[in-house]
Amino acid sequence: GLATLIGMSIAYVASFVGLGLAWWSYKKRGGKQ
Amino acid sequence: MIRFGSIDIFWTSLFLLLMVGGAFWFYRLARRSESDFFLAGRGLPWWLPASSVFSTHTATDTPMWITGVIYKDGLRGLWYTFFSAWTAIGAFVAARIFRRSLAYTQAEWQSLRFSGLGAELLRGWMAGWQVFMNMFILGWVGIAMGKVGELVFGWPVWVGLIVPSLITAIYTLAAGYWGVVMGDFLQGIVAVFAILLVSLVGVVAAGGPGEITGKLVELGQEWRLDPFAFTGVSDGDFPMLWWLTMLVIAVVGGFGMGTSIDWYVEAQRIQSAKTVRDATYGLWAGGAITLIRNAFWAVSILAFFVMLPDIKDTAVSELGWFRLGFELLPMGLIGVFFGAILAIHLSTISSHLNLGALYFTRDLYQRYLNPEASEQKLVVVGRWTTAVLLIGSFFYGMMMEEITQWLIFALWLMSAGIWLPNILQVVWWRFNAWGYLAAWMANLGVSWLVVWILPGFNLLPELPDHIQFWLLMALGACFFLPATFLTKPEPMDRLVQYYVMTRPLGWWGPVHREAVRRGLIEETKKESGPVTRSMGIRRSWTPEAAQEWTREDWIAILLSPLVYTGLLFGLVQVLLMQMEGFALLGAAVIGTLIIYWVIDPKLKAVSEEFEAGQARFLDEVEARSRWEEA
Repeated sequence: GLATLIGMSIAYVASFVGLGLAWWSYKKRGGKQ
Repeated sequence: MIRFGSIDIFWTSLFLLLMVGGAFWFYRLARRSESDFFLAGRGLPWWLPASSVFSTHTATDTPMWITGVIYKDGLRGLWYTFFSAWTAIGAFVAARIFRRSLAYTQAEWQSLRFSGLGAELLRGWMAGWQVFMNMFILGWVGIAMGKVGELVFGWPVWVGLIVPSLITAIYTLAAGYWGVVMGDFLQGIVAVFAILLVSLVGVVAAGGPGEITGKLVELGQEWRLDPFAFTGVSDGDFPMLWWLTMLVIAVVGGFGMGTSIDWYVEAQRIQSAKTVRDATYGLWAGGAITLIRNAFWAVSILAFFVMLPDIKDTAVSELGWFRLGFELLPMGLIGVFFGAILAIHLSTISSHLNLGALYFTRDLYQRYLNPEASEQKLVVVGRWTTAVLLIGSFFYGMMMEEITQWLIFALWLMSAGIWLPNILQVVWWRFNAWGYLAAWMANLGVSWLVVWILPGFNLLPELPDHIQFWLLMALGACFFLPATFLTKPEPMDRLVQYYVMTRPLGWWGPVHREAVRRGLIEETKKESGPVTRSMGIRRSWTPEAAQEWTREDWIAILLSPLVYTGLLFGLVQVLLMQMEGFALLGAAVIGTLIIYWVIDPKLKAVSEEFEAGQARFLDEVEARSRWEEA
């Protein structure tokens, strides 16, 4: 269970980094498009 | 440990030199632009994506796990490999829609299908996940190669993990996707040759097809020849409900994008084809060759089983096919066989290196960090990312050696929970970015509840995976359907733009009517002029009529999974010299010809029509990728 949790967490961390980058970039451009 | 003579070293070295040199040769083409480095300039004829689908699909651990299931389960074990049959319908539905979107990646497709903040969050999410996923897969297949090196030569595991990957990096860094597909083509030829040779040598060693079936009967193991040897409706090792669930996931999954973990890799192959028609045939043929490969493997594993029927340890039985090669082949051919194992490995490593670099370069760097980057700059970033991914995969591979199977299980949970949203986003206009994001977020919590937490408190029994799939789907829908209906649909402007460009299948009525009202597409009902038909099948197409989904598409969609099944099991029976196999294989070949006859005129018309507008669509997509609203 712990191994799977770690595996899934790393996957979700990578996804959240991408999501955060998109959020930051979208806001920086004033939310157009 | 095996005996490896100087002639073997010669053959292995020659193969390596040919495969790496042949791929490196294309580096001049790759450095021209981003679309060259990642899509070979969208210029490939169907047989190159097809060989790439097959070669990437075949990794060092593939013959190990397939040997494991066939050794344990006999021919019914082939159904575990049937998840790859999503390409049966995927080739005629998802491939056509994705190729027309002109998206480099699934993440980019989502920012074309959806819009606004939701679409950007999805794109960033998907890109981050895929950069990780490709590193994970590189580590996973790298460790498998490390274990083969340990078995064959007694090398420490890290040698097989690192050395072949570094060799692959030579041409993947230099020649990008051009190197990947050209390498895959050369490696595919070598792999097919070795798979045929070793499998036939194994069958002969067991005394031939008649001896194999006779010996199975003698051992009281006749059930191993029956692909439908169910252990009951819902109980036992091989219940019918599992089989039905697998068929739904694999076959119906072809209507969606991302329903199989292979989709993300194949999407790059689809987009690199020069026309919609080439994309369709490339994906279909790649899937068919993969199933034909499985048939040869299955028969040779049955041969291995009758020679050594008492292996209890899966870790030992999994090596059955490798043992056929290394123990039965004469000096000289062993070098050829090891060259083929390297070919199988290199082709998988190269594809995932390039794909991981694509997600970072196109979806994160170009989209969010530096939208104005020049083509040359993007190629440089692509190369750097390839190198970083390679090094990251070494660390990840060493770290996860012991827990790989649980990570793969985690991966199954992730793909099971978003299987339905992956189809809905393609076929239903009302599904929006917030619904899709909600499905992902809910999946993390729901899968934990179903798999560990509720069983831990005895609130739910530990369910078999095929029941988990349906439960995860139902619980996920409790989140993503409300999220979809409580938020607005995507703006009609965006939906119309997407619809006109890709002409998706399914429930798109309101968008279609709006596109007609705006004069962007013609209403086909008013078609005038003669239409030639033969046996009810339309033979000539106007560009506008070919855009619609018609009877011809549905014939291809329905026949295709049947043809795949016939190819796989017909070939198995032919190799076992069972007469009914010739009828089944013959029917599958005739079915393939019927699909071609029915759909080819239409695909030609779709391709010609789309190519006429492709340059304009490409300008729109590129402008949008630089945040200039088209």
